[in-house]
Amino acid sequence: MTLLGVAVRNIKRSKLRTALTLAVVAIATLFFILLRTVIWSWTSASEFSAKDRIATRHKVSFVMTLPKRYAEEIAQIPGVKAVAYASWFGAKNPKDESDFFATIATDPKTLLDVYHEIQTTPEQKQAWFENRRGALVGDALAKKEGWKVGDKVTLTGSIYPGDWEFFVSGIYTTTTTNVDRSTLYFHWEYMNESLTGARKDQVGWILANISDAGASGRISKEIDAKFGERDLQTVTMSEAALNQSFLGMFSAVLKAVDIVSIVMILIMGLIVGNTIAMGVRERTNEFGVLRAIGFLPKHIAQFVLGEAAAIGLFGGLIGVALGYPFVNALVGRALEENMGNMFPQFRVQPGIAALGLALAIVLAMAAAVLPARKAASLKVVDALRRVG
Amino acid sequence: MSESHNFGGKSDIIALSKVSKTFWRGKERLDVLQDLNLTMQEGSFEALMGPSGSGKSTLLNLIAGLDVPSSGSLKVAGVELSQMSEGDRAGFRAANIGFVFQTYNLLPVLTAVENVELPLLLAKLPAAERRKRAQTALRVVGLEDRMDHYPRQLSGGQEQRVTIARAIVGDPKIIVADEPTGDLDRHAANEILNLLGKLNTEFNKTIVMVTHDPAAAERASICHRLDKGALAL
Repeated sequence: MTLLGVAVRNIKRSKLRTALTLAVVAIATLFFILLRTVIWSWTSASEFSAKDRIATRHKVSFVMTLPKRYAEEIAQIPGVKAVAYASWFGAKNPKDESDFFATIATDPKTLLDVYHEIQTTPEQKQAWFENRRGALVGDALAKKEGWKVGDKVTLTGSIYPGDWEFFVSGIYTTTTTNVDRSTLYFHWEYMNESLTGARKDQVGWILANISDAGASGRISKEIDAKFGERDLQTVTMSEAALNQSFLGMFSAVLKAVDIVSIVMILIMGLIVGNTIAMGVRERTNEFGVLRAIGFLPKHIAQFVLGEAAAIGLFGGLIGVALGYPFVNALVGRALEENMGNMFPQFRVQPGIAALGLALAIVLAMAAAVLPARKAASLKVVDALRRVG
Repeated sequence: MSESHNFGGKSDIIALSKVSKTFWRGKERLDVLQDLNLTMQEGSFEALMGPSGSGKSTLLNLIAGLDVPSSGSLKVAGVELSQMSEGDRAGFRAANIGFVFQTYNLLPVLTAVENVELPLLLAKLPAAERRKRAQTALRVVGLEDRMDHYPRQLSGGQEQRVTIARAIVGDPKIIVADEPTGDLDRHAANEILNLLGKLNTEFNKTIVMVTHDPAAAERASICHRLDKGALAL
């Protein structure tokens, strides 16, 4: 038996109160870990971007299109290995229009050259190449929608109105987490053949693989310079820069998430402080007896702080233990499958878990400082007077 | 430091000379003890009686080193306590005084033997030695078969015996008991008084007991009566 051991065992005194306090600490720690993982995953998305891939879009906006022939011209620039183009199609499943997933019109062969992370069987790849109505579907989307290879899928176009029929030629997986697994890719030609006038032969963006990742800046400048004198000018950037510029639009959201995570853990501290203060008030007589038999004020403070630390430790450990499956298996899996480009890897980082646990302990102890000082400063005779 | 008087072969373990204790309630002055002179011999069993407000608990607090007099000299176990700091008095209490309270105040999360071991955490003793001493103290009070019981599993009399074991585990010279039988029925009270008597006669502990109970006071060899802060003749 040690002084600290006695302090820790004191948390068993009021089981219901302790259980509720531990629950508060655990939940606060769990959500701290979740929110911090959101920030980490979002801000680190660029780290998972392919370094050898650049994207070219209309200089004004993503919404405005480029002529398809730009892709052919980009392919001629030295250092460019492969070029693909794509257009945002924006179709929905008429059975459930609230169910969002990406539908992208592209050139199948060049897409798979540029996105080497996209994997499917040679048979399914060939089937997709040969079928103009064929679609390559991410495994997460196929699982969610219950689609299998060979299924006929009818989607309703919003940007390109009408009912569009597709056949699932293949189901893809990815070798990295930066490509999301909930996209339906189909033949750009199938879309283009139905278009007329200014919408015909247009693409949303152009992707290029380059031979030297270190040359992305130079090649991007070359591409933009090439089209600098044209009516439709371009802006080209690395995939990482593209993600970062996208991230910049959400800096306020990230800041809010950051603040909420701190506020949550501070509220936890106040609740623990209240619990400890109640316990101290109820045990004034016991502290009087301990002081009488020779314990010093510092020992009494150690009892109170030790108890708070134990609550922070056990509550924090429960929060961390729940945090891993909650974040990794539940939230993380859903985000990686459906928003892989924004959250390429949504997993609890050991540093974040350790920070959550440390904050739970430190803040619980900090919240107990005032009750501990109050208990330690009790005059022995006054405390004993409350004995009876 | 160790100066003491000697009467008939036994020395004074407690000596109060012109001790006064004054409290202030706002601007109101309360003279609880006034110019008190009192000695108690080592190995004696003495009772303090008196009506409520007579100052007996204040006197017990002074003897136990829980408080200091406003004036006068207070020597306990050869140590002058009147000028001693709170920290030094805590060490003095741990070494020399055992406490028995009316309400037992055992820690509910600790077993009987752990409660008894508690004061020894302040001593630099190996864990095994601490546990051995706590078990011995519980044997002395007749609770060797209740060592691993929690306070809630013990009767009032048994809890008070654990308190007494906690009081003697550090082998103090003096045991101060504040209404030790106040919460007990007659049978349990007699057991506790027998135990205190045994500690006095067999272990030579000096016992100072505050009580309202005449039957308890009869067990003491000397009974001091206080009234309005002074010893009644």
